[in-house]
Amino acid sequence: MKKEIIFKLNDEMVSVTVDSDELLLDVLRDKFGLKSPKRSCGRGECGACSVLLNGKSVRSCIIFAVEVAGQEIITFEGLQKEGMTDLQKSFLEHNSFQCGFCTSGVTITATEFLQKNPKPTVKEIKEALAGNLCRCTGYSSIVDAIYDYTKKKGE
Amino acid sequence: MKDYKYVGKKSIRIDGKAKVMGAAKYTDDLEFGPNLLHIAVLSSPHAHAKILGIETSEAEKVPGVKAVISGKDFPQKFGLYLRDHAIFPNDKVRYVGEQVAAVIAKTKKIAQAAVKKIQVEYEVLPNIQNALDSIKPNATLIHPNLGNYEVVPWLYPQPGTNIGHVRKIRKGEIDKAFEEADFILEDQYHVPHVVHAPMENHIAVALFDYEDRLTMWNSTQSPHTQRNILASCLNIPHKDVRVIAPYVGGGFGGKAGISMEVIAAVAAMKVPGCPVKLAWSRKEEFENSSQRQELFAKVKMGVKNDGTIIALKHELFWDVGASAEYGSNVVNATGFSAIGPYNIPNVYIDSFAIYTNRPPCGAYRGFGYSEFHFGLESHIDRIAKKLNMDPIEFRKKNAIKEGDKVAYGVEMGPTGLRECIEKVAEKIEMGKEVISDDPDKIIAKGFACAWKAPAMPPNESSAAFIKFNEDGSINILVSGMELGQGYLTSMAKIAAEVLSIPLEKIRVEHPDTDRNPYEWQTVASHTTWSSGNAVKKAAIEAKGRIIETVSRALNYKKDTLYLEDEMVKCTVDSNFSLALKDFVINGIQMKDGTFRGGPILGTGIFMPEFTSAMVDPETGQGGHPNVHYTTGAGAVEIEIDKRTGRVRVLKMAEAFDAGKVLNPDLAKGQIIGGFMQGLGTALWEEVKFDENGKILNPNFTDYKIPTTLEVPDEMYPIFVEVAQPDGPFGVRGIGEHTMIPVMPAVGNAIANALGIRLTEVPFTPERILAALEKKGK
Amino acid sequence: MSTFDYKRPATIGEVVKLLDEYKTSAKLLLGGTDLNLMLTEDIIKADIVIDIKNIEGLDVLQIKDSNLIIGAGVTFSQIVDSPLMKEKFPVIWESSRTVASMGLRNRATITGNICSAVPSADSAPALLNRDAAVVAISSQGKREIPIEDFFTGPRKTSLLDNEMVMSIKVPEIHGKFGGSYIKMGRYRGEDLAQVGVATLATEDLNYKISYCAVGPRPLRVKEVEALLNGKEFQGELNQELKDIILRTVSPISDIRASKEYREKMCLVLLERSLKASLSRMKNGEPQYGKELL
Repeated sequence: MKKEIIFKLNDEMVSVTVDSDELLLDVLRDKFGLKSPKRSCGRGECGACSVLLNGKSVRSCIIFAVEVAGQEIITFEGLQKEGMTDLQKSFLEHNSFQCGFCTSGVTITATEFLQKNPKPTVKEIKEALAGNLCRCTGYSSIVDAIYDYTKKKGE
Repeated sequence: MKDYKYVGKKSIRIDGKAKVMGAAKYTDDLEFGPNLLHIAVLSSPHAHAKILGIETSEAEKVPGVKAVISGKDFPQKFGLYLRDHAIFPNDKVRYVGEQVAAVIAKTKKIAQAAVKKIQVEYEVLPNIQNALDSIKPNATLIHPNLGNYEVVPWLYPQPGTNIGHVRKIRKGEIDKAFEEADFILEDQYHVPHVVHAPMENHIAVALFDYEDRLTMWNSTQSPHTQRNILASCLNIPHKDVRVIAPYVGGGFGGKAGISMEVIAAVAAMKVPGCPVKLAWSRKEEFENSSQRQELFAKVKMGVKNDGTIIALKHELFWDVGASAEYGSNVVNATGFSAIGPYNIPNVYIDSFAIYTNRPPCGAYRGFGYSEFHFGLESHIDRIAKKLNMDPIEFRKKNAIKEGDKVAYGVEMGPTGLRECIEKVAEKIEMGKEVISDDPDKIIAKGFACAWKAPAMPPNESSAAFIKFNEDGSINILVSGMELGQGYLTSMAKIAAEVLSIPLEKIRVEHPDTDRNPYEWQTVASHTTWSSGNAVKKAAIEAKGRIIETVSRALNYKKDTLYLEDEMVKCTVDSNFSLALKDFVINGIQMKDGTFRGGPILGTGIFMPEFTSAMVDPETGQGGHPNVHYTTGAGAVEIEIDKRTGRVRVLKMAEAFDAGKVLNPDLAKGQIIGGFMQGLGTALWEEVKFDENGKILNPNFTDYKIPTTLEVPDEMYPIFVEVAQPDGPFGVRGIGEHTMIPVMPAVGNAIANALGIRLTEVPFTPERILAALEKKGK
Repeated sequence: MSTFDYKRPATIGEVVKLLDEYKTSAKLLLGGTDLNLMLTEDIIKADIVIDIKNIEGLDVLQIKDSNLIIGAGVTFSQIVDSPLMKEKFPVIWESSRTVASMGLRNRATITGNICSAVPSADSAPALLNRDAAVVAISSQGKREIPIEDFFTGPRKTSLLDNEMVMSIKVPEIHGKFGGSYIKMGRYRGEDLAQVGVATLATEDLNYKISYCAVGPRPLRVKEVEALLNGKEFQGELNQELKDIILRTVSPISDIRASKEYREKMCLVLLERSLKASLSRMKNGEPQYGKELL
């Protein structure tokens, strides 16, 4: 069933016609050309498709697009409108990625988490990121980058 | 050692910005316009069944469907080493999930709906789910026509059986050696199927245009090999097959060779002019991309009382699934190397590629070495204990040295194995007891060695082009794949060192078989070495042209000119310097207004010209199948909960002899990433099948790959540098090796903690508790 | 996937009207972490999906007349981030932390968790121990269903076809108590419970014990509670208690764990949970949220 929805996407009001069973992930990628949320597990288990919904990280592969009518979505693209953020710089310096496929999802999750908890312990970082799967790095470079970023920010 | 400016120095990855900013485009991120069609595949519900008929007319009637294809349209078989894999089977299906037909439609949704309307009539056949059953005398034949398949000359399929290949090694006098042994230990080990689980599933886009040329955009480790297989299988000239490989979201061997890409290719041929996309879902990724072989290993080792290993009989029974097109080479490679990194005079190895009705298996980070090291390195610890020797000393005593003969008779090259053993043992403090505060928990350590050679055809090769730009920057054209390991950065560093150009001024291009020169495949931990050699040669050639141009135009002797900081300088004229950007495209202007020079280019090729696969099939002797071995060791400190059986790794150390480390941070990343992937296989990962070959855990709900919470608190990556003589700057590969010691190291730690020996992975809490109970009785 | 209509009513009144109209062919949508997946994977079908998470007032999380009211729209993240929950309902808080991952907890609701009624529902044992009630509403009016009567089988509840859950009501405990939830998964990362146990111990040594993932529905083991009540738990279950537990639970073997392993863990985890609960009741250690496995 077709529905027209209006929502805020990366600071801009947008409207789009979708089927009621169309996934937010597919709509963002195929109708808005926003390729940062990635298709991977399709079950909300890996975090590669993460976006911010009203400021909270969510899994766009298990959300119907109709659900976000009237809400606010920020994708990875929307986080860096003013260029590379300090968090991204830290990821770059720590090589917190290998293939890079999970990077946008990790960044989305870390962004929400650091807003909530700007001075986390390593353990808290690990807990927050436990739902973002990465097959390449073994995670330690990701955790280090986030921790180092918060240390530098605190200085 | 020479002090380098770029090699071995910390640097930012050259693909870093693209990845942290999301500019890196993976295949699914590319736009193909409104004509793009989508493919959905009908997969077999049976592990083994005769196909009696396929009825596609109902599917064809669905609005939006462009075509339905099956084996009737494309009866060809494909394969890298052994052509036993049907594009679509016509005779019978051989595993649950095998592609039987496909629908091409305007949307994925339409294609998926139409696929459900295809009717296939099957006659179910007895299926085989275990390699040891499959080699029983009266087993159903999975490939009755095995004798008719095309195969490379160094593989030996056994028609009339379910054996796709057998590699035999006979060295010394095995029976006599066992007679002379003071102690013999014999046991069996089991390693189940696991999957690569890259975050990006397989995906392929194909366009067959009206000019009859096939262009593909694939998530692959093997663009040129895919081109070669597609061209020969579909009878298209190589020049008309073009494979473009964008960024890859993880490979780990799973995207080596070719698999589902053939379906996209033939689908494109059915709808000329329209690009078609085939994207595996995660479930399809589990069911119909390659897996790691299951291994049943029998190890018999004989030693003298002084701790000298004198005999090894190692029999490897590999479940390669329904196709051995790639897996047969895993079987081959491990057959040659299943002595492990030890000097053993008397050796008997049989390595069998055994067909079953399970998904085809192929390359997986480690290429079979992880699997056989599990048994071998468990055995080493057990024997050392029997001899009352320290397992570290036992390993050091038998560790292979430069000049020792490996199992197929060739001399071992330079190796830092002993140093790796010592450094790991020191870092993890082997022998030092640690006691947990919690009475339910025991802390213990475990150790293992590892070695691995790149497994390649003897004539694998790499090529590189370097071209200068007006501003003195360069583009490097190669066809190795950036899988995350840092290939692009490594190639840039090699060129940077030779040409004195900073990394910021180097772009390394992704493969496009039309534009970039040849690379066999990005597998085998050989690319930094092989492709690196080609890039170094290309850089040296470009440097030669730079020097030649300057010498010719400005009358300096060639041997007085050198490159430094993007300039040509002269040893005898300290006032002279000429910036590369001033002439590498436009040449050097002479007094008369004419110019000398022109665009600077460099080409480089590399092929290891000393290798040969021509060996005696009965003994494995007489050839030179491997280029070199990378050696190393790993250890863990674990904590086991005696009451729940749960294992947690507290600490790990791994050391590998990388020859020369190009990128310290990236090399460490390989150790940590490889360790965690290995830990997955040691503790949690296993593809579970029901008795009819259906996978029970084709998702991350029930196939558990490590998360942040499984990462040990302390990790120590260590490098030893004993140069590889034919490697660029002494480099040899380490990417796969980092995974190899993990299963046995954890197993040995469990044995040290509880006195139980688990001969099967993963070491689940249930298995640990069961072994403890058995021991208590 | 079959297509469905999607409605987002503004009031509960509209929801119950729709439920009367569509009955079983309607599905109520909260966070969608379970429902959307089942719809996408064609495991269930619906003519209409009624999205209720944005209804005003459904995100209430507060104490009213000595009862905690958890509105149907309250997500696990809201619970995890709530100082009130951590202080006064620490086991619900502790178990909420074990649910999936942050990205899912931001969406998944505790009401959705109990309405899905999977045997491994992490929130169930803590709610059972607190004698929670489920407040349901339909066109016939409101009713309270004791949580013990709510779960009737795997993915089955005592909700009627035309009812929706408005909130979960949890009575406050006055006086000192300690509790804990221990979840055994295959590893520390996100997983479904192989066995989950929550216990509660009050100052006058009254115990509450509940399990998930050890039978067709989450369950409380009052027989064991009764035998323990009034006594200081000494750290080990005696044979009588063990026998009762093993008689009461009925775990299955599946790919996550065998029946035998689950049975063993029912005992080990219970001992550890009781120890932690008692200790927390007395001196607050180990702190809530600390790993107890």
